[in-house]
Amino acid sequence: MEKKLSEMDFDEEGTVKEIEGTLRKQVAGMGIREGKNIRMATKQPIKGPVVVEVDESLTSLGLGVAEKIVVEVG
Amino acid sequence: MLKVPLSVDERWNLIDRISKQTVEFGARKHTLKDAIAELTVKPLTGIPVAIAVLYGFWSFFVDFAGTLFTDGFMVRLFDEHWLPWLQSVFPGGLGNPFYALMVDAGHIENGVLVASDNCLESFGVLTSGFFVPFGVVLWAVLAFYLMFALLEDVGYLPRLAVLVDTVLHKIGLHGYAIVPTFLALGCNIPGVTATRPLETRKQRFLMITLLSVFVPCGAQIGIMQDLVPELMGWIFLTLVIGYLGFGFILNKIVPGKSPEIIMDVPPYRMPMMKNIVSKLWIRTSRFLLVAVPFVLLGCLIVGLMYLTGAMDWLATVLGSFLMSWFGVPGETVSPLIAGFLRKDLAVGVLGGLMEQGIMTTFQVFTSVVLLCIYFPCLATFALMLKEENWKEFLGSIASLVAMVLVYGGLIHLVGVMLGVA
Amino acid sequence: MGHPNVGKSVFFNRLTGAKVFESNYPGTTVDFTKGWMHLGGEDVELIDVPGAFSLEPKDLAEEVAVKMLEENRDSVVICVLDATKVERGLYLALEIIERGYPVVVALNMWDVAEDKNIRIDVEKLERILGVPVVPTIAISGEGFKELVSKIKEATPVKIEKIIENAGGVESAAVSG
Repeated sequence: MEKKLSEMDFDEEGTVKEIEGTLRKQVAGMGIREGKNIRMATKQPIKGPVVVEVDESLTSLGLGVAEKIVVEVG
Repeated sequence: MLKVPLSVDERWNLIDRISKQTVEFGARKHTLKDAIAELTVKPLTGIPVAIAVLYGFWSFFVDFAGTLFTDGFMVRLFDEHWLPWLQSVFPGGLGNPFYALMVDAGHIENGVLVASDNCLESFGVLTSGFFVPFGVVLWAVLAFYLMFALLEDVGYLPRLAVLVDTVLHKIGLHGYAIVPTFLALGCNIPGVTATRPLETRKQRFLMITLLSVFVPCGAQIGIMQDLVPELMGWIFLTLVIGYLGFGFILNKIVPGKSPEIIMDVPPYRMPMMKNIVSKLWIRTSRFLLVAVPFVLLGCLIVGLMYLTGAMDWLATVLGSFLMSWFGVPGETVSPLIAGFLRKDLAVGVLGGLMEQGIMTTFQVFTSVVLLCIYFPCLATFALMLKEENWKEFLGSIASLVAMVLVYGGLIHLVGVMLGVA
Repeated sequence: MGHPNVGKSVFFNRLTGAKVFESNYPGTTVDFTKGWMHLGGEDVELIDVPGAFSLEPKDLAEEVAVKMLEENRDSVVICVLDATKVERGLYLALEIIERGYPVVVALNMWDVAEDKNIRIDVEKLERILGVPVVPTIAISGEGFKELVSKIKEATPVKIEKIIENAGGVESAAVSG
């Protein structure tokens, strides 16, 4: 099933399916890209940022950023 | 044929090929460090940890700098030895203008000029001018930078940034903004410099303006803690409300973008002693180089203004405005003047006024807050000129004036309504 | 050059002995630092470039890094990578190589990588990239002699050559 990264539950894992336009270049250097396994490490309450894990690196993304990433889960 | 530079996909594709041939990932171990790394960014566990860390920070600051060095040692050294000694050996004596500038201006009690008994009241270049930077502020700044360097090198700050991003994003900033804010609590100057990694000019403008208005520096905090420890909670609460409140408003008015956070959260690391020491040394010595000349100059200027009667004149002229708008007596003019040069010195001058017993507690509180917000010290002001373009700089100044008038008036109003003003 | 928090400034300190301070917070060294190091009998200028993840800047610190790279067209770039995160490190290294700079790759935090059971075939990596690759541990100073001795071996490499060595690349099938 596909969903937005921002909709993933805490500790849920998935595979990055699609990253929107300009964001791709911005996160590419941090190791976030299509085909990578991604895990939701933490979610902050009241629309705060998420922290995801890719290749054992933690990256914090604003919720609006996370909405631009589609993940295949389950 | 391939085009150089490669596209994002081509580059990653190439890296995949290279890494498949050269890198072998063994069994992945989840270590205790990984677990802690995550626990400290999760809201449920991270927020209590953050509060504990900041509380520890504050306790160390107060106990080490305030109680141990300043009260335990420096106050005694300056008030019981340095001041009496100078009073006895310095040529001129009470009433002599040069003596007043350098050692002790004294003050009028029941119509008689009496000598001061502490280094805040005396207000001489050699007494207050040395007591403020070396007796109080140096220890506060040292304690602050030691703790800050530790948090920085362990890798805790990015986690703090994630935790506060939720709140700071609402006022148009990143969680990252916690770093300049935090650093500014040591000294506003590195704080302003640390705004450079913020992404947009809007964010930098917001940050620099809020920093210079609502974030007191370590020097100022150290001396406030020394003078009015019982009011510190209220002072900080007032400043935090101002920071968030005016941040919210500025974010609505100022044009520009506030992109969302994209930030690496590095693993925890063992701090290296050598790095901590060298950082501590660089930051503290920079502080002394900037601060001491300004404090001495400030003492001289304020002293001269008293001697020539300029201070009394200003106090009368501005007195009614200060009293009616902010609810503080005209005498507050002198710390406000000193505050143009150094905030710590200004609070010191205020301390001198307090010792004379001419202010109510609420007036002391209002004056301290006003001193924090009304103008950044000269050094910060100069740096703002350098870091911002003209339009932004004028914007900062305009917002500064507006915020001081509105917020200062508001505090007075609340005081009146609560019946404490 | 390298990512934030890979120990660039410790590197810089070791190579120059100058007084700069390293910090774990991404972007703290936006004010870049210059120093001099001995290299084969002469003093060479060394610049500590602010941490960057990519040459597509996303904040002021990265912008500064890119600008500094462009202003120093004739320099050799020491690219400091985190050995535990080679892949995303290589992303930056390749970007720099593609722009035609001679590069030396330092695989820093080699000890941490060993602890994590990550094994990297340095020789093979060197063969594919065509640039010197040296494992280093900045805090203890391991690998630095070798690194310094290899700076002169660095030459610009055509990306096509690397692609060939790696056994080809899928051309832009997916939109990029």
